[in-house]
Amino acid sequence: MKLTINPTDVQLAANDLRRRTLAHMPMPLERMIYLGSTRDYNTGMYYHDGLASRFSDEVACEALANCHREAYRQLLGASVEELVLQIDSYIRSTGAAPLDFVAAWKSLQPYRVAVPASTDPLAIEFLCGNVRVALAIWEAHREGRSRQRPGASPQLSPVR
Amino acid sequence: MIQLILSLLVGLVLAVSLYFFARRPKPSAEGSAQRLREARQTLDSLQDGLLPNDLVERIFAREDLEYVIAAAPPDVQSLFLADRKNVALGWVRRVRAAVLELMRFHRGHARLHARLSFSTELRLALNFAGLLTACRLLQITFYLRGPYAAPGMVRTAAAAAGRVCSISENSLAFLNVKGIDPFEGGGARHRA
Repeated sequence: MKLTINPTDVQLAANDLRRRTLAHMPMPLERMIYLGSTRDYNTGMYYHDGLASRFSDEVACEALANCHREAYRQLLGASVEELVLQIDSYIRSTGAAPLDFVAAWKSLQPYRVAVPASTDPLAIEFLCGNVRVALAIWEAHREGRSRQRPGASPQLSPVR
Repeated sequence: MIQLILSLLVGLVLAVSLYFFARRPKPSAEGSAQRLREARQTLDSLQDGLLPNDLVERIFAREDLEYVIAAAPPDVQSLFLADRKNVALGWVRRVRAAVLELMRFHRGHARLHARLSFSTELRLALNFAGLLTACRLLQITFYLRGPYAAPGMVRTAAAAAGRVCSISENSLAFLNVKGIDPFEGGGARHRA
């Protein structure tokens, strides 16, 4: 069935989502993980009750998908250094114990399933490799076995 | 007598040639459409997935290497270099495969569908040859010396691939696969 969706509605819904929900998530990593979690893995459709009640299920799905791709593209363009800072910020925002977080991310690799559909496999491989390396650097910093960058602060500071 | 035998032989050879020529499978309309769709998809994958400037620059960005060398312990540096090498090799392998696919398409079908001038065909052939050579050299360089060994050649290969894409785009301009893709548009597009 071909659905006809008004692009203006999708734009309005996406702006609404950015203003209300995503405004609390300044990092693309956090946004990508969150938006990936709004997708039903059995159908590939995105759901968001609040957005669907204001617009419609289809418009909400399209808006969520657009924002998901946007967060993914931003994350793909991030350097390893930026990714380390994003991981640091994300760990703080989850409130999880850092050791548990690192163990879970190393074994489950949740970022691998959080990417949008129809993404180029090479880009996924690149992003996952970067996140893996950034996580290892973050862990090394925490354990105090990293090389300090000349002039860099010894502590990871919260991301701007 | 000898003349008769020779004439018969020549006649037989011609008849056999005619038989095989007649039996040669003609490209069906369905097969041609399939090849066109495949070429279009290859072109889309090359333009949207492999050649965007920001992705190429990101993959081969030296700032990542410098940061990792400065900030990471040796085991993480090795992990990073191995990952980047795999991605770089994967990138050049995919670009090469896509270029080969487009070249096959042009050899077999493009001339039937697009009225390419001789100069365009010559330019295309030179671009294909140069690009395939550059890809092979890049593969060897990445394999032997790592992903950061030939930044200039990466840029040259990406630019040449862009030129090939532009010419191929003109050949395939009449075919808009996106327009006939049943999964395009609506929420169904987001199915995993």
